[in-house]
Amino acid sequence: MTAPLLSIRSLRTWFYTESGVARAVDGVSFDIGAGETLGIVGESGCGKSVTALSILRLIQPPGRIESGSVIEFEGKDIVTLGDEEIRDIRGNRISMIFQEPMSALNPVFTVGDQVAEVARVHAKMSRKDAWDRAVEMLALTGIPDADSRARQYPHQLSGGMRQRVLIAMALMMKPALVIADEPTTALDVTIQAQILDLLVDLQKKIGTSILMITHDLGVIAETASRVIVMYAGEVVEEADVDELFAKPHHPYTEGLMHSMPHIGHDQERLNVIPGTVPAPTEWPAGCRFRERCPYSWERCESEHPPLYQIGTSHVSRCHLAVEPERRNHPHPPVVVEAGVAAA
Amino acid sequence: MPWQTQDFAADSGPTRYRESPLALGLRRILRKRSSRVALFVLGVIVLVGLLAPLVAPYNPAAQPDIVGLKDLPPSFAHPFGTDPYSRDVLSRVIYGARLSLMIGVLATIVSLTVGVAYGAISGYAGGILDAVMMRLLDACLSIPRLLLLIGVLVAWPNFSIGALVVFLGLTGWFGLSRIVRGQVLALKHAEFITAAQALGASRRRILWRHLLPNLVSPIVVAATLGVAHVIVLEAGLSYLGIGVPPPLASWGNIIHDGSDQGATLWWMALFPGLFMVLTVMTLNILAEAMSDAYERR
Amino acid sequence: MNGTAPLVSVRNLKKEFPIRKGVLSRQVGAVKAVNDVSFDVARGETLGVVGESGCGKTTTGRAILRLIEPTSGDIRFEGRDIRAMGTSELRALRRELQIIFQDPVSSLNPRMTVGAIIREGLTIHKLAEGAAADARVRQLLQEVGLRPEYSNRYPHEFSGGQRQRIGIARALSVEPKFIVCDEPVSALDVSVQAQVINLLEDLQRDHDLTYMFIAHDLSVVEHIADRVAVMYLGKIVELATAEDLYATPLMPYTQALLSAVPVADPKARKERIILQGDVPSPANPPSGCVFHPRCHHPAKDAACAAIVPPLEEKTPGHFAACIKQPPTTVSWEQQKEAGGVHRPERYLPLAAVHA
Repeated sequence: MTAPLLSIRSLRTWFYTESGVARAVDGVSFDIGAGETLGIVGESGCGKSVTALSILRLIQPPGRIESGSVIEFEGKDIVTLGDEEIRDIRGNRISMIFQEPMSALNPVFTVGDQVAEVARVHAKMSRKDAWDRAVEMLALTGIPDADSRARQYPHQLSGGMRQRVLIAMALMMKPALVIADEPTTALDVTIQAQILDLLVDLQKKIGTSILMITHDLGVIAETASRVIVMYAGEVVEEADVDELFAKPHHPYTEGLMHSMPHIGHDQERLNVIPGTVPAPTEWPAGCRFRERCPYSWERCESEHPPLYQIGTSHVSRCHLAVEPERRNHPHPPVVVEAGVAAA
Repeated sequence: MPWQTQDFAADSGPTRYRESPLALGLRRILRKRSSRVALFVLGVIVLVGLLAPLVAPYNPAAQPDIVGLKDLPPSFAHPFGTDPYSRDVLSRVIYGARLSLMIGVLATIVSLTVGVAYGAISGYAGGILDAVMMRLLDACLSIPRLLLLIGVLVAWPNFSIGALVVFLGLTGWFGLSRIVRGQVLALKHAEFITAAQALGASRRRILWRHLLPNLVSPIVVAATLGVAHVIVLEAGLSYLGIGVPPPLASWGNIIHDGSDQGATLWWMALFPGLFMVLTVMTLNILAEAMSDAYERR
Repeated sequence: MNGTAPLVSVRNLKKEFPIRKGVLSRQVGAVKAVNDVSFDVARGETLGVVGESGCGKTTTGRAILRLIEPTSGDIRFEGRDIRAMGTSELRALRRELQIIFQDPVSSLNPRMTVGAIIREGLTIHKLAEGAAADARVRQLLQEVGLRPEYSNRYPHEFSGGQRQRIGIARALSVEPKFIVCDEPVSALDVSVQAQVINLLEDLQRDHDLTYMFIAHDLSVVEHIADRVAVMYLGKIVELATAEDLYATPLMPYTQALLSAVPVADPKARKERIILQGDVPSPANPPSGCVFHPRCHHPAKDAACAAIVPPLEEKTPGHFAACIKQPPTTVSWEQQKEAGGVHRPERYLPLAAVHA
């Protein structure tokens, strides 16, 4: 196994808000290898976006990277880098694609200028060279008539086009890693299909790794080779994509898969995960999924589960790993009275 | 199959203790030290004004010794000195607080009433009515408020405080109605308004029950700033001699009385000026804090 | 269909939004948001309406309720003409036709308590007052799965899924017969979606409701809808039972739409139909068949650009707007006249996908 491209260890990013400390990312560790697509899946509030922003040190106050390390392939820890060094990495060796293409683009500059700017800043290219390279990149992302499109402004392009522009910007410097934070969530289904195909295609051509962050298990199934499931600021399961879908271990993963309607498999009623995600300012003690879990028992309340190894490359943060027979005794979830837990 | 299809009613409740938007806003405002200080200082000034008869050491109009007590600098007996008419300045400043604040608040109430009505109707009605009302407003806005006031007040022979309040109020609602109209335009298309329509709510009901309560925050902010503005205006008018009629005490009046010999009677400008500055500053600080608290939603 | 009159009947519905330019705001064009749409909704059924942004599904839903005034067309509820109704008649109608919104945040008045929000319908239609109204509010809260004692709380204290339930309770308060569900779960997390969808199904059964379920998520629509209409650029391009639509989509757009949905199964190898280009602007729709520039049907030709395809029955109960999918009433002679060179042929590329 070659050395990983990026090695994140015990990352903790906390937000100091007026209602308390929100531990959005609370001890997350994983590796990203060269040329692979790692998917992070979870629902809102699980911390996946904050993880992505933390990698590139884009967290603004009142948020702060409390502790942990993000070691990149040259051995340097991104968390402790100086401002100039981190700017050298952003857009250059690690770049990011955001969810809302309209707000990620500057409305008063042409898209060509914005894409070219990446090369002018990082490779110190001349205006002309950078522009040519930008048009090349835009064409690569499938924008027809790239040269004239490059002269247009963001508001003149459709959502799908804008996302392609963002992708072109992200790939300009042929980075080692592209972080895609819900890149298709804001797009229509047919456009989403185009963009996902494009990402997979470009990855093969350029050889970059992709960190695909999404809440959509379908997107994960189609693009990722390895998957991390996050819940309540932690990694709760990690596995190869085939294994995760075939044999999900963590009850949250299992619940997620069962609560999605699948085309072609008609069910009378959808299965639900009852309850709601706890507030990030008040993560419950013990296992954070305990209150919604159909298998939990006393141990889940008293002991916060570590990541147990359950297969060659499959880990799960659940005590069922050591007491698997509990899976045979499901029960209605233990529900805590809202508003009463904290005195 | 452990994953139930039945939902559980018990789990569905809100996450914290009950908190109305009002309480939430107040909590945010009071969180800042500057707001707490401002509130305290303003509170003291208002209290002093309200309790003027109890707090002021002398009658503000009393002139016990026309010669002996004239133009005295601050002393133990008269902490703020005396004026050319041998009246105690401290007492006049205290009564001045009462009058100036009262004028500020009342005039702002007049402005609010007209401004909110105008802006809300214009914004909600839309179309031609809105266009016409806005153009009229533009015409009104093109006249500088101070000049308008001076013009009217100079031409009016003997006006009462009430008339002053009304004039101040009627010249101060233009900007407010713009703000209100803008808010109404933004809210008009909010989905909860559509939801109310879908329930069958009449336009009147939507205006009163849905639009106006959501306008409270920007209105309160604008009103607070309005009070500050009126206080300054009134002081200016009184200084020019066309504001509060003598012998009543207002901050502007006091400055006016000492203006002939401004250099020597420095206490006649300093103390009322100081109180004015404090009042206006605290009002502005509070308005800003309210505006921040509102934005954060 | 089976002889009983439909609950809601829409014929030739059109809604245009004028485009104004210049100082005098002259109208220079129009966005044809809804462009000649016709369908029925039978009592007790759930009609799903799917399509991507700009297809007109939301506008259609709101036009039926006259929350947006239609430009032209005929809308009937229980046989009564909705467009001809005056103010008070329309207000009374509001009890029978309700709507649930997409955004849980903006659809609830932040300054009203949850109880007041739900009680409003009762007050407007004088259904209950005072203690009776309070009791009804508590009952409604329980019915949607919320604790009745929280009726004096404010919306911002609840999560997205809970807020949607409040919106549902509000719609239910006036005892409607027909509810337009305008993307009710699109803004919610997957696990919460399932809760709300189950709730909607339960309520439909318990209160004999009829739904028009608008969504862009095809898997959700397949699950909940009896029949599905697919919209594109203001027109219905396909209409069939959910089963038929997903098993044999006839309209090339539907085929592309279905194949674009990411499947949560890494082992499923898909022949994906990737559409070229973007959705055209509804202000300037293509001539003839609005989908033709992006269509992948092998028989596509100039006739498609010239003839507006009628929505016609291809197999019993299954309607599609495509002159190249037989059977079609647009004869081969007509097509040739318009420049057609390929004969219509059945094209079903997705037969094996969702096996």
